[in-house]
Amino acid sequence: MHPVIELDGLEVRFGQRVILKRLTAALTGRAIGLLGPNGAGKSTLINALLGFHKPSAGTARILGRDVRTHAREVRSLIGYMPENDAYISTMTGVHMVRMMAELAGLPREHALERAHEAFFYVGLGEVRYRAIGTYSLGMKQAAKLAQAIAHGPKVLFLDEPTNGLDPPARTRMIQLIQEIRDRGDLHLLLSSHLLHDVEDCCDQVLILKDGNIAAFCNLEEERRANRRFLELETRGGNNGDFLDAVVKLGCETAPGVQGRIKLVMPEGLDVRQLYQIAAGQNVQIRRLNHKRDSLEDIFLKAMENANGRL
Amino acid sequence: MAVYKKTYRPYEGELTASWSRFLVIPRYAFEELHGKRFLTFFFLASFIYPLICALIIYVQHNTSALSLLGVQQGARNLISINVTFFMSLLGWQSVMALFLAAFIGPGLVSPDLANNALSLYLARPFSRAEYVIGKMSVLAILMSLMTWVPGLLCFGLQGYLEGWQWMRDNWRLASGTFFGAWVWILVLALLAMALSAWVKWKPAAGGLMFGVFFVASAFGGLINVVQRTHWGNLFNISNLIGLVWVQLFEGSNQTTNGAVFFRATQGEQLPMWTTWAALGLLAYICLYMLRRKIRGAEVVR
Amino acid sequence: MSDSVISFANVSRFYGEVLGINNVNLAIPAGITSLVGPNGSGKTTLMNLMTGLIRPTQGEIKVLGVSPDDPERLGKLVGYCAQFDACPKGLTGYQFIYWFLRMHGYTPAECDRKTATALERVSMTPAAQRPVGAYSKGMRQRIKLAQSIAHDPQVLVLDEPLNGLDPMARAETIALFREWGASGRHVIVSSHILHEVDQISDQVILLSQGYVVAEGEIKGVRDEVKEQPMQILVRCNDPGGLAARLFQQDHMVEAKITRDRKGLLLRTSDADSFYLLLNNVILEKGLDVESVAPADDDVNSVYQYLIGGEGAAV
Repeated sequence: MHPVIELDGLEVRFGQRVILKRLTAALTGRAIGLLGPNGAGKSTLINALLGFHKPSAGTARILGRDVRTHAREVRSLIGYMPENDAYISTMTGVHMVRMMAELAGLPREHALERAHEAFFYVGLGEVRYRAIGTYSLGMKQAAKLAQAIAHGPKVLFLDEPTNGLDPPARTRMIQLIQEIRDRGDLHLLLSSHLLHDVEDCCDQVLILKDGNIAAFCNLEEERRANRRFLELETRGGNNGDFLDAVVKLGCETAPGVQGRIKLVMPEGLDVRQLYQIAAGQNVQIRRLNHKRDSLEDIFLKAMENANGRL
Repeated sequence: MAVYKKTYRPYEGELTASWSRFLVIPRYAFEELHGKRFLTFFFLASFIYPLICALIIYVQHNTSALSLLGVQQGARNLISINVTFFMSLLGWQSVMALFLAAFIGPGLVSPDLANNALSLYLARPFSRAEYVIGKMSVLAILMSLMTWVPGLLCFGLQGYLEGWQWMRDNWRLASGTFFGAWVWILVLALLAMALSAWVKWKPAAGGLMFGVFFVASAFGGLINVVQRTHWGNLFNISNLIGLVWVQLFEGSNQTTNGAVFFRATQGEQLPMWTTWAALGLLAYICLYMLRRKIRGAEVVR
Repeated sequence: MSDSVISFANVSRFYGEVLGINNVNLAIPAGITSLVGPNGSGKTTLMNLMTGLIRPTQGEIKVLGVSPDDPERLGKLVGYCAQFDACPKGLTGYQFIYWFLRMHGYTPAECDRKTATALERVSMTPAAQRPVGAYSKGMRQRIKLAQSIAHDPQVLVLDEPLNGLDPMARAETIALFREWGASGRHVIVSSHILHEVDQISDQVILLSQGYVVAEGEIKGVRDEVKEQPMQILVRCNDPGGLAARLFQQDHMVEAKITRDRKGLLLRTSDADSFYLLLNNVILEKGLDVESVAPADDDVNSVYQYLIGGEGAAV
């Protein structure tokens, strides 16, 4: 069983500058997040995997195929949704997606069928018969996604898919991405600055910094860990009393954001005991959740890591 | 009752042959060009001259027509069907081809570059070479139909009417037409592509197609005057083409000096290999310009 | 009083026949105010009106007492960071800000100082000598921001300022906004990222199709949407049992068990009673509670209720 993306000492240079410094990793998740500050090399990595940049050393493999020697085969497996605008303004949506599907190897009739299917899937209706130059930003993003999936790739590269979208369009795009991920036969590589989106969609995260891998973590595992940290929001009663009682039980407390309370429960203490106190004091516990290391914390920790090397 | 959910499904069907993928581009381009009426009319109008030539050839061999025109029985030639005839045909058609390239050329590459669509093309199992060849073939096909195809047809007609021996004796006319046209087609197609890739505004790119010829020849002329030499002629592209044609059509015994627009200069001439070298350099420059612009991703310094 | 708010009084703006905004009344206090709404709802129109770039077709605007008809004063008061890049070609980052400040009339030495401060604020000092054309998206965003804060304005109008910034730059910029908001300035930010809006804003203005649909403090905005009962998500081991017990109450409106059968999404018209009741039910039934959270106490939900999915791609 091949890892989806395997980096094997991958090095990419632009002239004298080394952009990607011998990256080595094996990414196996259904949806892999790619994070990092500007200039860390995310776009360069994606471009190198697509074959737009030749590695100066090392290599990478996508589903077992080497990007150096089998670049063409690799690209037939990939669907790419670039960050920037990418369209031909004089063509209609269907026309462009159809042509791109044919260039990927689909026969004529199938290309047209799948172009329409792709448009249905991303939620574009009559608009597909209009010239792409007239589309709004949300429509252009949807059309970009349509051309990425029309030829039925095995790996999808999404670069900032929610860029510029308004809230309902963002939600729809995230839903689409989650649906695609949940299918199981299509792997995703999601590169984004919005940690929230990556958290919602991805199960593994690769964090780059300065061309090195700063962190590589498995979000599923992170989520399952750490049941002892809580975050509470209370209302009513005498807040001080509640806190005192809770501390008496052995908890450590600290103030959190937006007036909430952060708690560390000692071993053996049950959440129900907190409720007992609340019932006794007529205090409402308006919010309660287990606080695990959010992606933001992981990211910031990775950035602080001195030389950014894993 | 069965309810069907609209969902993404992977593609399990067959794929087209890898080598034939580049043909997708001309197919789509022709669909698009078909809709442009002016272009269609122009293309059709460009066949008028060859038709006249064919008519002349026919008339030459049709005694009744000749007598109608008042020419005596003995005199065979109204117009002699020779090198000049075919070279003029090629020359005129090549000028029409230049106009065609100026209309179509700018729209070939610039729309793809305008909104970064190239990264979509190249993210597929599709190489830069295939892209360039695909786009060039649009021009090549149309220009072939305008230049050597009518030329060879006229040659065939003349050969049919004159006999096998004439064809054997004048094979150079056929090969000159064919190869001469191709030299022009390649140069023009590369130039059109390079300009389309570098110049965003279509009218400007179209204008430059003509401009390149005039500016280059003016520059060449300037060099000639300033340096008192003939080397400036290497900048005169139409001149170069003319020289190439003369060589292809006539070999070493040159009687003509090119055709129409493509005049080979009289007087002291530079060695032929320099002509070919200059054309080769022009092609190389165009290819280099294309290579710079046709990329999946820009390299930031 | 009027000198501390940005006020819109019956303001309308049309572009020919096309609607920009219609009959808008606002009084924006100091602090961070977010403008939220679908593309085309009037956010950019509102911002352009505030900065005096366009004039209203009707109505009156006053920014801290200054009318946009007085561009000299308004220009000093307001800093604007537009959505799209617009920098003269060939300028370096430093020059871009420096010459902008010179146009304000500061002496060269002052301009130099202010430019350096602004660059430092957005962490662009090392890259300042390179031309803006060579900048990455995030860098261009930051230089735009620097230009808008360089002359130390009282009012900052920012159109999607975090677009293209990586998470650290986002956090730094948000910290910058918080600082400015806390110092009594007006920071107007338009954004599509609703959970960020939740985190950073003091006030929010929701726009839809050229109208102001809701405005005020975020917590308050939710309470105003009275037609919708409060939605709360409780994750526990026996949602069915919890629901049965809760339905005995009058204030329960709706209860839905989540897909994974480990949560209960309920609606109640009296949140306070519900929470007190919850305490007892948990103890009564010995429930194992994983989390409790209001499911619609954020801008996202208010957005859904008031604006809905009309902005979705068509």
